[in-house]
Amino acid sequence: MARMAEGMDFENLVACYYKPLYQFAFSLARNEAEACDLTQQAFCIWAAKGHQLRDASKVKTWLFTTLHREFLGMRRRLVRFPHIELEHADLELPVVPPVTASRLDGEQVLAALAQLDEVYQGPVALFYLQDASYNEIAEILDVPLGTVKSRLARGLARLHQLLADGPPSKS
Amino acid sequence: MNRDEAKIILLPYRPGLADEADPQIATALALAKRDPELGSWLEEHCARQSALRNAFRGIAVPEGLKEQIISEQAAKEKMPVRRRNFAFAALAAAAVSLVLLAMLALPTRRADDTFTIFRSRMAGVALRGYTMDLITNNPAEIRSYLARNQAPSDYVLPAPLQPVEMVGCAVQRWQGVKVSMLCFRTGKPLPPGQQSDLWLFVVDRASVKSAPETDLPQLAAVNRLVTATWARDGKIYLLETEGNEPAIRPYL
Repeated sequence: MARMAEGMDFENLVACYYKPLYQFAFSLARNEAEACDLTQQAFCIWAAKGHQLRDASKVKTWLFTTLHREFLGMRRRLVRFPHIELEHADLELPVVPPVTASRLDGEQVLAALAQLDEVYQGPVALFYLQDASYNEIAEILDVPLGTVKSRLARGLARLHQLLADGPPSKS
Repeated sequence: MNRDEAKIILLPYRPGLADEADPQIATALALAKRDPELGSWLEEHCARQSALRNAFRGIAVPEGLKEQIISEQAAKEKMPVRRRNFAFAALAAAAVSLVLLAMLALPTRRADDTFTIFRSRMAGVALRGYTMDLITNNPAEIRSYLARNQAPSDYVLPAPLQPVEMVGCAVQRWQGVKVSMLCFRTGKPLPPGQQSDLWLFVVDRASVKSAPETDLPQLAAVNRLVTATWARDGKIYLLETEGNEPAIRPYL
């Protein structure tokens, strides 16, 4: 590895980022083995290509972007996602009832996330996991800023709606 | 801006972050200060956002993942210097060819370390815990179960491994391909809750790029496991157990 971010060696880099990367991967894949693979692959690729990154402050974004690309590659997705600007989506956004925050747990939230269309899952996970700004999410997911805004608006609205509705009945 | 519009705008609002700098959010927040109903909704919304954030950040990370990533990378970097020099020389020679190929507009191909990742992933399965799909001491039942589930079942066990007690099997997945996992018990004392201490993974060779090509077992340490890999009749065999070389040699 020719150069490490801000003097950080590989072990420190892994120690800093493996947890949020795994959590992001698990949010996307909802499968421990796949999430481990994705996390490991992101670091493998960093070890091979990280020296190409000129701006050391972008390491975190680079790792998340790489992981997301690997996820997309793993799934070999063929669907083309429409880019809907927020202005056009506003009228369709539901006003959701409040959720009792205290009864939310990880399993419930991930189950609700899984019910979202895949295009909303990445932005929503980054939104909560990383407190990422719209610009950071756009950079990581490699989509326009307006698209991030519209996907977040729709994704959050749907997520809150699902949580307010409770788990689906098993009948 | 009315109350409902403000709620929509405030949906992605996260207290304490830079979201407040957004002019629309700032306007909606100002409205919430003047409108008690909206203010009450905002208070609940902020609590909900905080709970959601905590729920996402509460996703448990498997034990040993960090160590696995670090040890795997360290193993790669320990490639002998002579071998590395040879590799560099070979790469330099190959670079010329690659440039020529690129000029002919052939698709580029990234460095392939798929086998390393496969080995690491299967080591992770053994280290982080797994559930056997079938628990039985009957090798024929195991083979039959794997066949029914379209996982490799026509495997050939090395002679020293054949007398070792089988305790079950599972079907793992590797990039969409099924991998047979055979679980053995060597007879050593097992920690509480552990049912096996020797694992054999079998996968079609075509599914794992850059995998070994010979039937001569190649040993490697992955985290606290020692692994042996060989190829035979179009399949890759990966045997794993805890410890170092002497722990695995008796089964090869």
